Amino acid sequence: MKRQVPLALCFLFGIAMIFTQFSPHSYSQDVYKEVINWGLIISPFALVLAVVTLIQTHATRIRLRTEHWQYSLIVFAGMIVMVLFGVPDGPQNPIVVWLYDNVQVPMDATMFSLLAFFIASAAFRAFRARAFEATLLLITAMFVMIGNVPIGDLVWNKLIFWIPGADNPESWVNSTADGASWFRQWILDIPNTAARRGIILGVSLGVISQSIRIILGIERSYLGGGD
Amino acid sequence: MEVFGIWVAAFLTLCIYSFLYRDNPFYRFAEHLFVGISVGYLIVIGIHEGVIPLAWEPLSKAMNALWTEIIGETTPETRKALRGLFRILPIAIGLLFFARLSPSHTWLIRIPIAILIGFGAGVAIPNVLQANIFAQTRGTIEPFAAIGPFVDVPPEARLSTFDIFGAILMVIGVICTLTYFFFSVEHRGPINWLSKVGIAFLMIGFGAAFGNTVMGRLALMIHRVGFLINDWIGSFGALF
Repeated sequence: MKRQVPLALCFLFGIAMIFTQFSPHSYSQDVYKEVINWGLIISPFALVLAVVTLIQTHATRIRLRTEHWQYSLIVFAGMIVMVLFGVPDGPQNPIVVWLYDNVQVPMDATMFSLLAFFIASAAFRAFRARAFEATLLLITAMFVMIGNVPIGDLVWNKLIFWIPGADNPESWVNSTADGASWFRQWILDIPNTAARRGIILGVSLGVISQSIRIILGIERSYLGGGD
Repeated sequence: MEVFGIWVAAFLTLCIYSFLYRDNPFYRFAEHLFVGISVGYLIVIGIHEGVIPLAWEPLSKAMNALWTEIIGETTPETRKALRGLFRILPIAIGLLFFARLSPSHTWLIRIPIAILIGFGAGVAIPNVLQANIFAQTRGTIEPFAAIGPFVDVPPEARLSTFDIFGAILMVIGVICTLTYFFFSVEHRGPINWLSKVGIAFLMIGFGAAFGNTVMGRLALMIHRVGFLINDWIGSFGALF
């Protein structure tokens, strides 16, 4: 009962979603839309549970006075202010908009920009051309980065100027102008896309086989342990 | 209020950048405030864009329609609105998530999880098949439809020699990358060589992804530094 009911429901919803997507009948499409809405209704409850867990964690930190427990009060303060003004009026409440524009967005952008420094230091350690593969990764990353900024084309155009015949406007050399950005785009369009397509095809085949295993009840790890 | 907002944003930006020196109270303050504000915003969005339009409004309309039906004023609209009563089911299923809080009923949480997973798996199979497998395979071989003098395409739409080289390279790259991930046979002989070429393509892919990520993060950093220099320092004039 404790395992069979969830497995049966998983099978039922999985099969229903597959059949409704393949069937063009209006009833089938209505069922599909309704079940999509069901999914959208059920998901926020998982969010509530996550919030409850976050509150429990920080409440425990405050109660036990663990190290840096004072910062848990700041988590609560931020959350309460947002909920207090946002829940009655919605995200268009002026205070919520102000907090979003002047607190959340700047901090979000700054947190991600902080990674630029750590990526640079990680690159310094990782980008030692110790093997052929590492060298390939290093060279590709360099070309992509140089091709991304205007100075890349500027340097390229200065370099090809030294090739004999570059001063002649009819010369083939001039057709290679702005080569840094062109080469970056070629890397992204051909070898990079080929690798990504290989990964996408492999992952997709894995997703389909795993989905079939889940629907048929072969894969049950999501049920957890116990009865 | 606008200048105050700029100052708050600048203070929090500097608090986060202070982590570059080392972990400190300013960074911890900004970090925890970020968590609190983000979770609060997520709750607001979840309620106003999920629960209210999808569950609360159809359900309240259905309850009104039910009352209208009871007093005998049936209309086609009330009949249609009555369908909203079915929304009680996903709400009840969602509430089962809270069974986790009661140790003796924890197993009930498997029901919403199983439904969401079954739902996700059922949606994934046709969509992944269509959007990833068919579309990506088609994209890989489609350029060959415009090659050669015998195909029915205008001369200006035919691929150049360099484009043909690119199309062939693409097919080789996809096949070799897939070979690298093909673990059902031992990687020896020709398979080993194909998988080594696949590794080379993967490294180019990772290098390109890394380069793009670095540039993306740097662009964000330039934006933040631009904000500090132009907006924040620029606001000094309004204050002093």
